[in-house]
Amino acid sequence: MTPSSTSAIIETDLRPDNLIVIKMAHIKKSFGGNKVLEDINLLLNKGENLVILGKSGTGKSVLIKCIAGLDVPDSGQLDILGKDISKLNEKELTGIHKKIGFLFQSGALYDSMTVRENLEFPLKRQQDSISKEKLESMVKEALLDVGLIETIDLSPSELSGGMRKRLGLARTLILRPEIMLYDEPTTGLDPITSKEISNLILTVQKKYNTSSIIITHDINCTRLTADRIIVIKDGICAAEGTYSDLKNSEDEWIKSFFE
Amino acid sequence: MENINLKPSSNDDPGDVIIPEIFEDKITHSVINNFFVEVTSLTIFTLRFFKELFKPPYEFNELMKQSFLIGYRSLPLVAITGFIIGLVLTIQSRPTLAKFGAESWLPAMVAVSIIREIVPVITALIFAGKVGSGIGAEIASLNVTEQIDAMQVSCTNPFKYLVVTRVLSATFMLPVLVVFADIIGLLGSFVGVNIKGNVSPYLFFSQIFQTLEFIDMFPAFIKTFFFGFAIGIIGCYKGYTSFKGTEGVGKAANSSVVFGSLMVFIIDMIAVQITSFFQN
Repeated sequence: MTPSSTSAIIETDLRPDNLIVIKMAHIKKSFGGNKVLEDINLLLNKGENLVILGKSGTGKSVLIKCIAGLDVPDSGQLDILGKDISKLNEKELTGIHKKIGFLFQSGALYDSMTVRENLEFPLKRQQDSISKEKLESMVKEALLDVGLIETIDLSPSELSGGMRKRLGLARTLILRPEIMLYDEPTTGLDPITSKEISNLILTVQKKYNTSSIIITHDINCTRLTADRIIVIKDGICAAEGTYSDLKNSEDEWIKSFFE
Repeated sequence: MENINLKPSSNDDPGDVIIPEIFEDKITHSVINNFFVEVTSLTIFTLRFFKELFKPPYEFNELMKQSFLIGYRSLPLVAITGFIIGLVLTIQSRPTLAKFGAESWLPAMVAVSIIREIVPVITALIFAGKVGSGIGAEIASLNVTEQIDAMQVSCTNPFKYLVVTRVLSATFMLPVLVVFADIIGLLGSFVGVNIKGNVSPYLFFSQIFQTLEFIDMFPAFIKTFFFGFAIGIIGCYKGYTSFKGTEGVGKAANSSVVFGSLMVFIIDMIAVQITSFFQN
C-alpha cells in the first residue's frame, strides 16, 4: 500500500509526461459550506484502469464530474492530456472534453429517442458532415461491441438495467474517447450482469486503448478491472495501491472495503 | 432565557397554528430572501438565453420539432377553448344589451372583448397549463435522470438545445395560436348570435370589421409574444434549476404553471397601461 496523496505527485515527476493522461494536484471543491474534496492529488496513466473507492458522499462522483467538465474545482490544478484546463479557452476545452467519455450511473439515455437515435445524436453533433452509411456502420459497430444489435429500434424504456448500462457505454464509445469515466457502472445490477459489465470495461480498455477512472462500491468489479486503486477518505486520497496491496493492508478501515 | 411571544394568544382557536414571533420574523425574512434570490437567478437565466440565442451553432431542427409539438399539438385545445369563449360571451352579453335596446351591438362588443383581452389572456393561461408545465416537467426529468449532463459530455450545449429552442417556439407559437383562437372565438360568437336570432355571416362579420380598429388588434397581438416568452422562459428555468429527485419534477411542473400564469397577468396589466397611454 502506498499511503497518502503525496505519493501520486512524487510519481508524476518520475514518469514521462506523455504517459500521464490526467493529473490532479491539490483539487478542492465545496458546495456551500460542505467541503467535498479537500486536497485531491491523483494521476491516471495511459491505458490504465484506475478504480476509486470510498464511502458514499466522499466526493468520488464530484471528482470525475470535475474531470468531465460538469463541475468546476474551486482550486488546484487539473491537467488533461497534458494541458492545464484552467488555461484553455472555450474551444480548446471543448476539444479536450471530446476526448472524454462518461458512463453515468443511470445510463442517462435519452428517453425520447430510440436506441439508434441515442447513438446517432452525439455522432451527428460532433461530425457535421458524416455520411448516412458511415453513421449506420458506426452505430452498428458500437451496438455489436456491447452485444445490443438486436435492440437497435427499441426505445430505452424497453431495455433492462444492464442493457441500459451497456447502451450508455456504446453511446460513449461511439465517439472514440481516449479517457473513460465510469460512475458506478455495476450499481443495481445482479452479479452476472455486473460481471458482464466489468468484462466489457476490460474489452473497451484493450480494444480502444482507453485510460479509465472507475468509481465503484462493487469489490468484484474492482478486482476484475483495477490496475490500481485509490481510496478516498474525508476529501483526500487516503491510500493507493494494487488490489492485493490494499486487500492485505493493515489498516482496518481500508481492509473493510474488501470484506 | 429569551422570552418568546406566541401568536395568536392562548385563548384563540386551538386549531390555529401557533408560530412564535421570533420564528415568524425568520420565516418572513426567508420568504423575502428567497424571492430576491429567485428573481436574480431568473434574470441571469434570461440574460444567458439572449447570449446563447445569437451564438452558433443554431439548433434549427430542434426548433422546428418544438414548434410543431408546442404549436400544432395545442391547436385542438385552443380551438375548443376559443369556440366556447365566443359562444358563452355572446349568450351572456345578450340579455344586458337587450335591456338597453343595443342588441345589434352584440357582434361588435363581443369581437372587441375577444380580440383585445379575453382570448389572448385565456389562451395564454391554457398555454401556461399545457406547454409551460410540460416544458418544466420535461426539462426537470432530463435533469433528474442526468440526461442534461449526458448532453454536455457529448459536447452538446444543453442550454442551447433545450432552453433556447423551447423559449423561441413558445414565443412564436402563442401568437399564432391566439390568432387561430380569435377566429374560432368569432365563429363561436356567430353561433351564439344565431341561437336567438337570424344574422347572416356577411352582416355579422362586416359589423365586426367596421368596429375593430388597429389599436384593438395590434397591441393585443404584440403582447402575446411577451406572454409566450414569459411562459417558455419560466418553464425552462424551473425545469433547468429543479432539485434532483422525482419531487423536483412535480415542483418544477407546478411552479411553471403558477409563475407562468402570474406573469401573464402582470404583462397584461403593463400592456393595458401602455395601450391606454397611447390611446389617450
